[in-house]
Amino acid sequence: MTSRQAGRRIAAGTRRRSRSVRNGTRKGEPLAAKDLRLMLRLVACGGIFVALVAAKLLLPAKMAAFNETLSAAMEQNMDVQAVFSAVGRAFSGEEGGGMGEVYQAVFHPQEGAFQAGAAGTAEAPVKMTTQKATLRDSAALDLLRGFRAEPGAPSGPPEAPGPEGQPASSLAYVLYSQENLPEGVSMEQALLGFDYSAPVAGTLSSGFGYREHPTEGEERFHYGVDLAADTGAEVRCFADGTVTAVGDSSSYGRYCVVAHEGGYSTLYAHCSRVTASSGTAVKRGQKIAEVGETGMATGPHLHFELQREGTYLNPVYYVSAL
Amino acid sequence: MFPPYNIRVSGGFVLLAIWFVLANGWEPLATVLGAAAVHELGHWAVLRMLGAEVTGFRLGVLGAVLETNSRRLSYGGELAAVLAGPAGNLLAAFLLTVLGKGRWPAAVGANLVLCAFNLLPIRPLDGGRALYLLSAWAAGPVAGEAAVRWAGGVTAAALAALIAWVMLRTGGSLWLLPALLASVYWGAMPWHSGGCL
Repeated sequence: MTSRQAGRRIAAGTRRRSRSVRNGTRKGEPLAAKDLRLMLRLVACGGIFVALVAAKLLLPAKMAAFNETLSAAMEQNMDVQAVFSAVGRAFSGEEGGGMGEVYQAVFHPQEGAFQAGAAGTAEAPVKMTTQKATLRDSAALDLLRGFRAEPGAPSGPPEAPGPEGQPASSLAYVLYSQENLPEGVSMEQALLGFDYSAPVAGTLSSGFGYREHPTEGEERFHYGVDLAADTGAEVRCFADGTVTAVGDSSSYGRYCVVAHEGGYSTLYAHCSRVTASSGTAVKRGQKIAEVGETGMATGPHLHFELQREGTYLNPVYYVSAL
Repeated sequence: MFPPYNIRVSGGFVLLAIWFVLANGWEPLATVLGAAAVHELGHWAVLRMLGAEVTGFRLGVLGAVLETNSRRLSYGGELAAVLAGPAGNLLAAFLLTVLGKGRWPAAVGANLVLCAFNLLPIRPLDGGRALYLLSAWAAGPVAGEAAVRWAGGVTAAALAALIAWVMLRTGGSLWLLPALLASVYWGAMPWHSGGCL
């Protein structure tokens, strides 16, 4: 291809000398430039391909890690539609969210999606919640990492509300006023407006709120409560609702999410198995899963979260009857 | 009825669109493309009104470009043609708000975002072209060129930083990468031709 190209260029050159000056340059030059660009593109693409194949063959572990990082980054996306909607609502002067709402939509896609679902469009609530659950995994990972390194409990059942858990959670009430809470968390005790019951008969082994990371010495927020119980114990649904997500994640283990009326939803994590299937309607007290220690857990327990339209609430008010 | 337009859609655009759909779904893509269509229609309508002929349409990774063969538009005329795109978006946002009574906030938002983005004073964007035309009209082409290079460089750097920050904070949104690269490119090469809309 190159030699033929060169030949054509020479021919163009001679023609230019002998005959019309303009014709020769016009016909010859842009074609050569175009071909050269295509050649360069081909060489660049081929080079990248060869380099990636070589990297995969020579450093398979590094490549796999890179792959994982890249796919994680590719799955994290801001909710473009929610951002546009927030801008549009701010423009029409509706429910004065303004910049705050736009900011929320950009940086907290899961909550944005949640609210959009609750607002009534409800095209694919199941999909949305699943997405929400996976997106939240990174946050959950952090908090669950915080648990595992608990001193004095390297394995075995989670510790009773003793020396470690109790002072930390009461500290949370003293030190952390509403402004100091992480985003999307409320310490208020909401009136649910429907009947509910504790999901499992067990002891509270870890409360909702900040707790000090024992090894790194930093504060981590625990977005739910841990209820210690034996493996295989029945997990009963907190209230009437619909199972919106059943999943398996490295941090939550086997988990399921149930949506209730009024924009509330509950999450049940670390189950040994989830018996309810996604999309089905469930009643209060109905068995939906069994207690386990899947995911990042140091012993069999249920990690229970309560949300209202994307805001984490303290579930302890509703399970403390135990 | 329509002149034989030379329409080109680059492979990069198709790839980016597919990526965007995979990352965000069909709905946002339709919203964005709708707003972009309104934008280009604004340019096209004013160009036609001014008697300029639109010869081609290119759809690339960095956006849509109308090609016109008329280089004889007055400063005022070209300014009107340049601003017609963002104005079209603004008009669409108003109409959608008034007619929809809040039913299509996403479409309104997309039009507003597109309008605001295109009004950034970075050259290949409408804002940069308008800035050049205005300052060249008022103080001559040399001053216009200087103004647009300075404003474009600074704004493009700020835009690149903003996009990078959003990508970092959201921990992804990698489909913004072309926009990031584009703003770096625009900022680093403020002299490249502005002969498009």
